[in-house]
Amino acid sequence: MASLHSNCAGIKRRDFLQTGMAAVGGLGFTDLLRLRAQAAQARGLASPDQVNCILVWLDGGPSHYETFDPKPDAPQEIRGEFKSIKTNVPGVHFSEVMPNLAKTMDKISIIRSICHKDPNHGGGNHYLMTGAPTPVPVGCGAFVSFHPSFGSMVSHERGVRGGLPAYMSLPQVSRSGGPNFLGAQHAPFVVGGDPNGKGFRVRDVAIPPEITDDRAFTRQQLRESLDNLKRISDQRAEDPTLGFDSFYQQGMELVTSPTAQAAFDISQESDKVRDSYGRNDFGQRLLLARRLVEVGVSFTVAYYGGWDHHRDIFKTMKDKAGPTLDQGLAALINDLHDRGMLDTTLVICLGEFGRTPKVNKDNGRDHWPGAMSVLVAGAGVPGGQVIGATDPKGYYAAENIYSPEDFAVSLYTKLGIDPHQVLHTTTGRPVQLVNGGKPIKELFV
Amino acid sequence: MIARRFHLLSLLSLTLSLGSAGSVFAGQRPISFVNEVLPHLIKAGCAGGNCHAKPEGQNNFKLSVFGYDPAHDYREIVQDGRGRRVFLAAPEESLLVKKAIGAVPHEGGARITRGSGPYELLLAWIRQGVPFEIPGEAKLQSVTLTPREGIYTKSAKQALKVEATFSDGSIQDVTHLTEFLSQNKELAEVDEEGHVTVGTTSGEGVIVARYMGLVDIARITVPADVKLPDAAYAKLPEHNEIDKLVHERHRKLGLLPSGTCSDEEFLRRVSLDLIGMLPPVEITRTFLADTRPDRRERLVNDLLKHPNYADHWAVKWGDLVRPNPSRVGVKPVYLLDDWLRQAFRQNTPYDQMVRDLLTAEGSTHEHGPVALFRDKRDPADMGAFVSQIFLGVRLDCAKCHHHPSEKWGQEDYYSLAAFFAQMKRKGQAISAPISGEVEHWWAGSTGNVTHPVTDAVMVPKPPDGPEMPYVEGQDPRTRLLDWMAASNNPFFAKAIVNRIWADFMGRGIVDPVDDFRASNPPSNEALIDWLANDFASNGFDLQHLMRCIVLSHTYQLSAEPNQHNLADTQNFARFQKRRLTAEVLMDAVADLTGVRDSFQGMAPGSRAVQTWNHKLKSDFLDAFGRPNASQECPCERERKSSVVQALHLMNSSDLQTKLASKEGRVSQLAADATLSEPKLVTEIYLAAYSRLPEAEELQTALRFFTHPGATRQTAAEDLTWALINSAEFVFNH
Repeated sequence: MASLHSNCAGIKRRDFLQTGMAAVGGLGFTDLLRLRAQAAQARGLASPDQVNCILVWLDGGPSHYETFDPKPDAPQEIRGEFKSIKTNVPGVHFSEVMPNLAKTMDKISIIRSICHKDPNHGGGNHYLMTGAPTPVPVGCGAFVSFHPSFGSMVSHERGVRGGLPAYMSLPQVSRSGGPNFLGAQHAPFVVGGDPNGKGFRVRDVAIPPEITDDRAFTRQQLRESLDNLKRISDQRAEDPTLGFDSFYQQGMELVTSPTAQAAFDISQESDKVRDSYGRNDFGQRLLLARRLVEVGVSFTVAYYGGWDHHRDIFKTMKDKAGPTLDQGLAALINDLHDRGMLDTTLVICLGEFGRTPKVNKDNGRDHWPGAMSVLVAGAGVPGGQVIGATDPKGYYAAENIYSPEDFAVSLYTKLGIDPHQVLHTTTGRPVQLVNGGKPIKELFV
Repeated sequence: MIARRFHLLSLLSLTLSLGSAGSVFAGQRPISFVNEVLPHLIKAGCAGGNCHAKPEGQNNFKLSVFGYDPAHDYREIVQDGRGRRVFLAAPEESLLVKKAIGAVPHEGGARITRGSGPYELLLAWIRQGVPFEIPGEAKLQSVTLTPREGIYTKSAKQALKVEATFSDGSIQDVTHLTEFLSQNKELAEVDEEGHVTVGTTSGEGVIVARYMGLVDIARITVPADVKLPDAAYAKLPEHNEIDKLVHERHRKLGLLPSGTCSDEEFLRRVSLDLIGMLPPVEITRTFLADTRPDRRERLVNDLLKHPNYADHWAVKWGDLVRPNPSRVGVKPVYLLDDWLRQAFRQNTPYDQMVRDLLTAEGSTHEHGPVALFRDKRDPADMGAFVSQIFLGVRLDCAKCHHHPSEKWGQEDYYSLAAFFAQMKRKGQAISAPISGEVEHWWAGSTGNVTHPVTDAVMVPKPPDGPEMPYVEGQDPRTRLLDWMAASNNPFFAKAIVNRIWADFMGRGIVDPVDDFRASNPPSNEALIDWLANDFASNGFDLQHLMRCIVLSHTYQLSAEPNQHNLADTQNFARFQKRRLTAEVLMDAVADLTGVRDSFQGMAPGSRAVQTWNHKLKSDFLDAFGRPNASQECPCERERKSSVVQALHLMNSSDLQTKLASKEGRVSQLAADATLSEPKLVTEIYLAAYSRLPEAEELQTALRFFTHPGATRQTAAEDLTWALINSAEFVFNH
C-alpha cells in the first residue's frame, strides 16, 4: 500500500493542513487493508490494490423494472409490457429482456436498494460517478464537476502502471467523470471511435501504422541523442524536465511491450469471442475494456448513452438497448470468469437513477431516484445474491437501503483505496473522499 | 455575537489559570467553556475540518471549525444529543468524556488521557454545572507568537511561545493549547508544543500559530552556509529596479544568480511568454543577426504589438473568469471571450478593464461581462470571486468559518458580498445545458446580505477597507471599484503584478498567486511593493509591467543553476523551466509543421489560443491540460507532464499526418532541391528551437538521411518528430 497518499500533488499543503487533525483511530484504514490483503491471500484472493474495475455507465438512467427488478404482480400500468423470467439462481427473477444476464446470476450480485433524491441527470450523474451529491441543485442538462470522479481518484492513488493511464473512458467521458481538483493528469484517457469498425485502433498507445518498426527505432535513438536540454538531477532544484523524462520512458515501455501492444489490438480476438459480446460498438467496447484490464488499466468506464427512456421504453428495450446490454455484459462476465480474471476485476453496471413506476402517456418512464438496480460482480462479490429490495410495486427501496455514499465506499474499498481519506482542494480546503457511508456488507462476505 | 446572546457582563478582571489545567482547580476555581474547555477540545483535534467540524458533523455531533461559534458548540455539547454528552450527576459517565478518552468506541480514538489535566478540567467543568462563561470573564482579544523573527543556523532548535491577551489586559501563556503549522517543512518543522527544529536547507519560512481562531506568525530565516563577498554582487547587471531588489535578496540569503541567457534563448523564451508563439524563422534570423545593443528591447516592443498578444492573454484570463457554457449559455460565453480579447488588443488599463467587468449591466446576449453575473448569481459567490481573482485573497473559507490561517471571518466575507446584493435581473434564469434566452442584469436599489450566524444586515465593506453604506441612486459596485483602483490599495495592484510575474517567472512572489496572507508572505516584499507601486503609478498599464519584467536581467537569466542557487526555487536566481501550456504547445506544433488544426465551429486556420470554449473537442488540448468546462472557475492550469502527453506526442496519428502533409513545412523543405541536407536540418532547428544546430547535433541529425530506406521526406519528418518529442521543444527554458 505504498501508493496511498504517495503521489499527491500538494504534499506540502496537505501536511500543513493535516497538522492538528492527525491520525484518526487506533486501527487505521491502512491496517485494515493490510489485514484484508493478508486474509485475501490466505483465501487465494487478490489483494485489493491489484483489483481493476470496469464500470458500465448507462447514461440517462435505466429502468429497474425492465432490467433487474421486475414486478410481475404489480398492476399493468406499473409492471409494463414485459414478463419476468427465472435466472439460474432459484427465486431470483429478471425482466424478460435480460435472458443472458439471467444465466449469469450465479456470478453476480444485484443491489435493488440504492436510492437518492436527485431526479435530474446533472445531479444524478454527479452523485453516482463521484459518490458526492452536488452542493447546489443543478439542472437536468447540467454537466458539472464539484468532486473527483471514481476513475480520477483511482488514477490519483495508483498512478501509471506499465506505462498505461490508470483511468480510461470509452468512447467519451461521462458528464461528471472528470478529476476536479485532482488535476488534469487524472482526467480519463478517452478512447473514442467504434471498436466494431474495421481497422479500429486505440489512439496514441502504438506507433502509427505507417511508421515501420525500424523507422520508429531510428526516431527514438536520434531523439535521445538530440534531446540536449540540460537537466538538473538534484531533486532540490525541482527541474520539471525530470518528470517529462520519466513519463516518456514509461510511454516507451508501453509502446515496446508486445503484451501491451497485443492488448490494444481487438482484431486478435477470435470471431467467436467477438460475436459473443455482440457485433456492435457497445459489445466490442466491453471486449476492449477486458483487454485493457488484462494489461493493467485500473479503471475503465464503458459509457453507453441513450437510457433516458421517456417514450417507447418497451420497444427500445426489446429491440436495441436491452439485447445489446444483455448480450455484451453477460459475455463480459462469463469471459472474465472463464479466464480466471473475475476475482481481480470488479464489474459494475449502473446509471444515475431508476425510472418511474407508472408508465407514462408516451409509453415511457420518467426519472425516479427512489429506486434503482445496480449490478456488481467480481473482486470477491458473492454470486447469486440479491441485495435489498424495493416495495412490492417498485416505488422505493424498502429493505437494506443503501446510499450512493455506501456504494462509493464499497467501490473504493474493493480497490484498496481509503474512502474516508481527506483530500485538499487547490485552495487547501479539506474534503473527505466519501462523506460518511459504510461498506455494503453483502459485497464483502 | 456571543456577548449579544449571552448577556454582556461588566468586564471585571478575573485571573484565569489557563496555563495550568490540572489538579489545581480541584473543582473550586470556576471554569469557563469559552475560555478553557473549548480551547482544550480544539487542541485535542475534536473541531478538525475532517472530524466534528465537517459541515454535517461526525456521528451527529458537530462543532464549529476552529471554535468560531462557541455558542453553537456549547449548545451542541450541553443541550443536544439528548443530554447524553454531559451528565451532571455523574461527570465520568458523560459521553463527551468517555468518547474523548476512548472508553467507549470512538472513531477518532482516544484524544485525551484519563487522569490528565484536560481530563480533570472537563470533569470539574461538568461538576460545576457546565457554565458557558464565568460572570465578568475577560474576552480573548489577540494572540502573540514569539520570537516573531529569527535568523537561525541549520539544525537549530527554538521553543516558541504563544500568549493570549484578554480584554482586561491580562496575558496568558497558551502555548500548550495552540496549534502550530510550518509552512515550509523542509526549512523547519514544528511540533505540537511549539518546538521548532530547523532543517538543513537555507531560505525563509513561516510558522503559523492558531489559537481559538486567531493567528499569528513567526518568520524563520536560515541564511546559506557560505556568505558571498560583496564583490560577487558588484558586477551583476542591473537593468532596472527589479534586479536591484532581487539581488538584495540574494545577498541576504547567500544566493548568486545564474549567468545571462543567450539571444537565442531570450528570443524563444520571450516570444512564448509574451505572445504564446514560437518565433518564425525569418524573425529568428533577423534577430540573431542584429548586433544593436538594444535589440532585446526592440524585440519586446515588436512582440507587444503582435496580434497573437491579445489571444494569448485572453486564454489566461479565460481560465479565471469564463463560466461553464452549458450553464450560462454559449453566446454569453462567446461574448465574454470576445470582450476579453478586445481589452487586451487595446491594452485597456487594468483598473478600467476590471471596472468594466465588475460593474457590467445589460443583456447577456449583447455585453460579454454580463455573463459573469449570470453565472455568479449569489452575491456571496461574486464577492468571493472578486476577492480571489482581483485582491489575491481567498475569502471562500470565511463563508462558513474563520479563515484557518488569516484574520478573515464571516463579517469580511458577507460584507464584501453586500456590494453585489442589489443586483437585479430579468429574463431567463439558468436553463442548462442551453440557457439560450436573454437575461438582463442591472444595479437596483434594494436588497441586502445578512450574516448567517447573527442575521445582521451587512454594510458593504471591502476587506480591511472602510464601510461604504448604500446610497440611493448610486451603484455600490462603483465605490468598491474606486476603492480597489486607488493607488494605495493594499491588494489590487499587488495581486495582478504577482500574477503577471508568475506568468513570466514560473512562480509568484506570493505563491500560490491568489493566496496573499500574513502566514504566506511574499518571498521578496520590497520587490512586490515596488512592482505594485510602479504599475499603479504608470496608469495600470499591463504592457508597461510586462516590459519591465521581461527587460529585467532577472528574467534574462539562464536556466542553468550554479552551486549558489541550485537548491533555491523561490528567489528567482535562475530561470525556471516550465512546460508550454496546452494551447501554446499545440500552436507551436502547428507552426513548426506548417499545418493548422481545425476546431469545430471555428474558422479554418484558427489557432488554439483563439478557441473560446473548453468544450471544443481536442485530444491534444485534453492531454496537455485545459480546464474542465464542467468545473467552476477559476481553474488552475496543470503544468505537470504525464504519460498521456508523452504518448500523444510520440504516436498521435494527427501529428504524423501533419509531418507528412504535402502542404506542410516538412514536405516543402524536403522537396526543395536547392537545400542541401545540412541546410534542411538547420531550417528545422531554427523553426523548432530558434537556434542553429551545434556541429555535433548536425552530424547526428544527418544520420536520418543516411539510414537505409530513408528519403529526404522521411528524414525530414523523423527529425521534426524527434525535435517535437524533446524537452527543449516542450518546455520554455
